[in-house]
Amino acid sequence: MKLPEFDRGILLSAVILVATGIFMVYSATAVMAMRSEGGDFTFLARHLVSVGVGLLALLVFMFMDYRHLRKLSIVLLVGAFALLLLVFVPGLGVSANGARRWIRMWPSTFQPSELAKLAVVVFMADYACRPFGARATPGMNAAHAIRRKMEHPVTGFLIPLGVLFLIQGVLIVQPDFGAFMSIGILGMSMLFLAGVRLKYFLMLLPVGVPLMVYLLQAPYRLRRVTAFLDPWKDAHGSGYQLVQSLLSFGNGGLFGTGLGEGRQKLFFLPEPHTDFIFSMIGEELGFVRVLPVVVLFFYILYRGYRISGQVPDPFGQLLALGVTLMLAVQALFHMAVTTGLLPTKGLPLPFVSYGGSSLLVSLAATGILLSVSRHRESLGAAVRRPDFRRPRPRDHRAGYKNL
Amino acid sequence: MNSRRAVFLVTLVALGFLTVVLRLVDLMILEHDWLSQRAYRQHVRSETVAAPRGTIYDARMRELAVNRRVQSVFGVPKEIRNPGQMAGRLSRVLGLKKTALAERLSDRDKGFVWLARKVDEDTVRAIQAMNLAPEIGFVPETKRTYPKGRLASHVIGFVDIDNRGTEGIERIFEDVLRGESGRVMKGRDALGQALSSGEDNAQTGHDLVLTLDEDLQYIVEDALNEAVEHHRARGGVSVMMDPYTGRVLAMAVNPTFSPEHRARPENWRNRAVTDVYEPGSTFKAILAAAALEEKRVRVSDRFDCSEGVIEVGGRRIHDHKRLGVLTFEEVVQKSSNVGMVKVAQILGSETYFRYITAFGFGEKTGLTVSGEVKGLLKAPKNWSGSSIGAMAVGYEVAVTPIQVLNAYAAIANGGVLMRPYIVSDVLDSEGRVVKRFEPEAVRRVISERTSRILTEILETVVQDGGTAVNASVLGNRVAGKTGTSRKIDRQTGRYSRTRYYSSFVGYVPSQNPKLAMIVVIDEPKGSIYGGEVAAPVFRKIAEHALIYLNIPREDTGHVVLVSG
Repeated sequence: MKLPEFDRGILLSAVILVATGIFMVYSATAVMAMRSEGGDFTFLARHLVSVGVGLLALLVFMFMDYRHLRKLSIVLLVGAFALLLLVFVPGLGVSANGARRWIRMWPSTFQPSELAKLAVVVFMADYACRPFGARATPGMNAAHAIRRKMEHPVTGFLIPLGVLFLIQGVLIVQPDFGAFMSIGILGMSMLFLAGVRLKYFLMLLPVGVPLMVYLLQAPYRLRRVTAFLDPWKDAHGSGYQLVQSLLSFGNGGLFGTGLGEGRQKLFFLPEPHTDFIFSMIGEELGFVRVLPVVVLFFYILYRGYRISGQVPDPFGQLLALGVTLMLAVQALFHMAVTTGLLPTKGLPLPFVSYGGSSLLVSLAATGILLSVSRHRESLGAAVRRPDFRRPRPRDHRAGYKNL
Repeated sequence: MNSRRAVFLVTLVALGFLTVVLRLVDLMILEHDWLSQRAYRQHVRSETVAAPRGTIYDARMRELAVNRRVQSVFGVPKEIRNPGQMAGRLSRVLGLKKTALAERLSDRDKGFVWLARKVDEDTVRAIQAMNLAPEIGFVPETKRTYPKGRLASHVIGFVDIDNRGTEGIERIFEDVLRGESGRVMKGRDALGQALSSGEDNAQTGHDLVLTLDEDLQYIVEDALNEAVEHHRARGGVSVMMDPYTGRVLAMAVNPTFSPEHRARPENWRNRAVTDVYEPGSTFKAILAAAALEEKRVRVSDRFDCSEGVIEVGGRRIHDHKRLGVLTFEEVVQKSSNVGMVKVAQILGSETYFRYITAFGFGEKTGLTVSGEVKGLLKAPKNWSGSSIGAMAVGYEVAVTPIQVLNAYAAIANGGVLMRPYIVSDVLDSEGRVVKRFEPEAVRRVISERTSRILTEILETVVQDGGTAVNASVLGNRVAGKTGTSRKIDRQTGRYSRTRYYSSFVGYVPSQNPKLAMIVVIDEPKGSIYGGEVAAPVFRKIAEHALIYLNIPREDTGHVVLVSG
């Protein structure tokens, strides 16, 4: 029986978003680049390199069997963790705006927190599918063992939570509050999906709430967190970034100012090429063209969900939905922050924002999702098909499409 | 995988996207209007563009007041991390105190503070070399400059730092010179740098053409300043006018000031119109004109002045020496106080007063320079018993030099009082005449016949036996009158015995006057008589001016050619 093809809808969505990103990054940085580095193509050139590397990663993961990732999950996690620590090594770590989030990597820098997100997803998906103790208890099948493990407070919750907290601990020291939050949410979502009992999550509240309070004690953080409720109150201070972002959307209106014609990127909008690229899209392209951007992410979410429901193995299910959520939640956070629905936090928009690490990881994640999508069961076929290594169909048409 | 949980999470995220979409509808459609307006306000700054101020020219279109493009330096405290250090770097270049600069640069709420207005090019270059943008910036401005320096500064006046006329012609014609400042919409980025600019609609101010002639002004100022210095006087005034038209050709005031580096506000007054004095004997021509016009005296009438003193209302009025029996003509020529008092008594106070007012005393001449006063003139009902005597010899009346000159101009031109004027044309920026000031007759004061007779009498003043032989001009006849009047001692309220105004007022050539001129010297030391102090100044100016104006000598008919 021939395997379903990879999900072309997702691939197309990703490509459209990346293409949009190329235009917007150029538009956002042309003035900036001219003023600081003498050439208005500097940022664009770097971005295009990232796009190239990212697409390569996408292809690699797309044609790789996603199940190989299970073997790599620990390596990936430890590697990401090590890279996170490298940020603190003098000479390697790069700090900006009072935070150490990047490591020097010729010719650019790399943000290990982006890789950590993917590593957490892969690790959690793999962990949730390892049947600990199945052999120790005769007569118990693997599925049962897995379920028992995941419902156990220590093996199902505390151990993965410990791993998660370890990573989050490093992020809070950097500090990278945005990554801290998104990795936390991602990790928790994975555990939630893996079947951890709800009461454990509730038991986390007495620990989590004081922790949040403690973290918000840094006054600048509290102000930035609460400023989004009424940014106009301090439009030149703590509410400045959000006010500028809202002005961008408002200025764009229905049809936008036109590509390249936006004014907010002229140093009004902070980081128009990364953290506020959605605002810039809103200003320059208008509602009628920013709406499709939201729809594309929604479509990826929908397709990812469908794929996860169609693959037979639990790891594939968890992995597919995990990377889908990783992309969708990040996009949602970016959009919610720029529109003032959530406290202002610097988060890139997957596929679109300038910044090689985010782009690379997003495209790699898409590749993984596409790889999983190739192992969907045919509609109506309830038969499990574990052997994915069947020879590819020799059918000329299908082969052509697989290219 | 727990599929219900998956549905829950995915739905949650999907609802999030839906919320984002609703929020986008809100921001981009419902709130679009006010948000975009607010964005526009920060993207575009409407700037007032000062209209270039009109130029002031002399009668021959030589520039007396022009604009120069300069730069002003401002700071952006918001951008400045270290105000103290910045102040230190700038203080030397700008020549300002470091502490004062640091204070101005420290107000971090401000996006704009002036540091120095209208600095010279060297300073601009020095600051530009420091590369301080965006903390420090420049604004182009125009600076009013007076290429002729102190020349006619009392007439032209000056402007304040914002180019608003504050004195003189600059002030009186502010509305004409200023033009309409325009507005320009400038696109800008958040760093405050202008990116693009629209068309500005500034209307250049109108130009003014004065009646002043730069050369005559120079001649007059030069002679006046020299005389003031020579006689160690407190100051002086000299005004030259065309008697037929009322055009003011030159107007000099001492002490002088430089309009661009001015100090001592007391020197800014245009004393030719702002300061009054008692005219003394120069006023006798007014009385003589009245008496002749009323036919109450004839030139040959004799007046006994042999006692050298006359008592009027209990006050004794002296001549400086016993002059004997004089004809009317000689009374004026020798400036006999006794004789003039007798003439005044014959004429009567009411009639005399009528002529005084008819000659323009007690009212402003309307010359368009700043600060003109009308002087003090008592109506006859307020006169004391001795007033007729005092008025006959030019006391108890306070006049401005321009009033005296204008009255003499009426005598010179055949009896018509003209309205003196100093601005002849208003030109638009293309040089078209917007408004032209024409000579304006105020009233006929005396008949041509009286004018002719009086001119002949005033000619004798400058001839042998007169008080002003020093005013005689080579080759041309001069008609005029000296005046030496005591100043009132401010402390005692009485007439001073040591402080005088020495004056001479007259016109030349007397039979066909081209120039009427007054010279008033304030408190000369040593010699005090108008004939000795002011008359030589008149002569010096008149001789130069007649040559400059190519007026032929009456005696030979030759035009004296200007040499060199």
